[in-house]
Amino acid sequence: MKKRTSLTIFKSVIFALFLREIQTRFGTKKLGYFWAIFDAMLMVLVFASLKSAISENSMPGLDFPVFLATGFLAFFLWKNIVTKAIGAFSSNQALFNYVQVKPIDTLITRFLIEILVSSMATLVFLALGLYFEFDIAVKDFSLVILSVVWLSIFGFSVGLFTAIVGTFYETFIKIVNILMTPMMFISALMYSVDSLPPLLREIILYNPLVHFIEMIHGNYFSVLNTQYVDYSYMFYWTFVPLFLGLYFYSKAEKKIISSR
Amino acid sequence: MIELRNVTKFYKTSKGKKYILNDVSQIIPTHTNVGILGRNGAGKSTLLRMLGGIDFPNSGTIRSDKTFSWPMGLAGGFQGSMTGRQNVKFVCRIYGKSEIEIEDAIESVKDFSELGDYFDMPIKIYSSGMKSRLSFGLSLFFDFDYLIIDETLSVGDKNFQVKSKAALRKKIENCNVLLVSHSMPILKEICDSGIVVNGGQMQYYEDINEAIQVYDTINK
Repeated sequence: MKKRTSLTIFKSVIFALFLREIQTRFGTKKLGYFWAIFDAMLMVLVFASLKSAISENSMPGLDFPVFLATGFLAFFLWKNIVTKAIGAFSSNQALFNYVQVKPIDTLITRFLIEILVSSMATLVFLALGLYFEFDIAVKDFSLVILSVVWLSIFGFSVGLFTAIVGTFYETFIKIVNILMTPMMFISALMYSVDSLPPLLREIILYNPLVHFIEMIHGNYFSVLNTQYVDYSYMFYWTFVPLFLGLYFYSKAEKKIISSR
Repeated sequence: MIELRNVTKFYKTSKGKKYILNDVSQIIPTHTNVGILGRNGAGKSTLLRMLGGIDFPNSGTIRSDKTFSWPMGLAGGFQGSMTGRQNVKFVCRIYGKSEIEIEDAIESVKDFSELGDYFDMPIKIYSSGMKSRLSFGLSLFFDFDYLIIDETLSVGDKNFQVKSKAALRKKIENCNVLLVSHSMPILKEICDSGIVVNGGQMQYYEDINEAIQVYDTINK
């Protein structure tokens, strides 16, 4: 059998894993397409109707459902990257029987798939926004894209770190999964940081995800800004888990492959 | 050639370390079909997995410039949620086969494995025999230097056993085999040399009959 370079092998493994994951998610269960937008759509509908029942427009100058949609799409992108990464090793264990398939390949594949799925969901939302004549104008398109890319990398870092640590301490995975639900309420998705009382504002800014959401909102809507976004804080939260995760991975790869 | 240098492999149990290999250095020459013998739990399968590169010694190195198949055993090695067909496609893809070659592989594996309608059903409903038939049929499609086979030649009905033995004999004209089996006739038929794994050591014998004799004395 002729020898292939590791890059060629890597590419064919990612391609094969990608097709396999797409098949299991969208192939046999046709509802996969539906679930891809369901989470975010449900949240937007619930909180938009809650808001309109409680108060008049508390965010003048923007359409509140669009505000919700941007926040929740970003949140679910991040959340899905993290949770799918956490399960990547265990649900692909049988495939490590083939010497070409490295555990990190399964993480990278799931990362790419979440980005694809989230992009599709975003397109659906944009189409709906246009159809129902919401104001979906973007203040700074390239900065919004940059924020989303950064947010994705942040998700990958947290997912990688959790998956590796979770291989040795299963409890850690449970904790991260439990934290996901409250995260939805403390990540400035249905309100802006600016609208909070000062004390609450100070506390909530310890949540790194808040900075990412504020960065997206601030660059999307012309009436909002990014005054509370702390870029170095986001940087630490992205790269510390990423490098720790990669370092632990390099030590633990063999153990992950051979554990069964 | 496969070279093991100071290889130690153990499992941690509640009663301390259980050694599979304890500081073993051994050279397995090229162009010989090797039968691997040992009692249950002696570590034959672990040894195969290490040779195949999907398990690793605790210390020491295993080196070879040969290519190895995935270990074909009764313990699966397929993703249960995928169908036989999807698994064949997956394996072909990770080995960099083109779409045309994949079509060929599907035809020949489907034909060889005699899975019929099961070929398009999820692997998780397969019996272990069906899994090994798929795994073995698929491996015939690739050109490895070594086939790694763990106890799978004795699955299926008589017809299938005859067929797979014939296929293997044809295959090993161009490659070699590392074979774990408890069936002495199969070992004598297929293998030239042998390895006996026992009590943390492994010993290579140029003649399979000698290896079988040693194994018989261990079992007494």
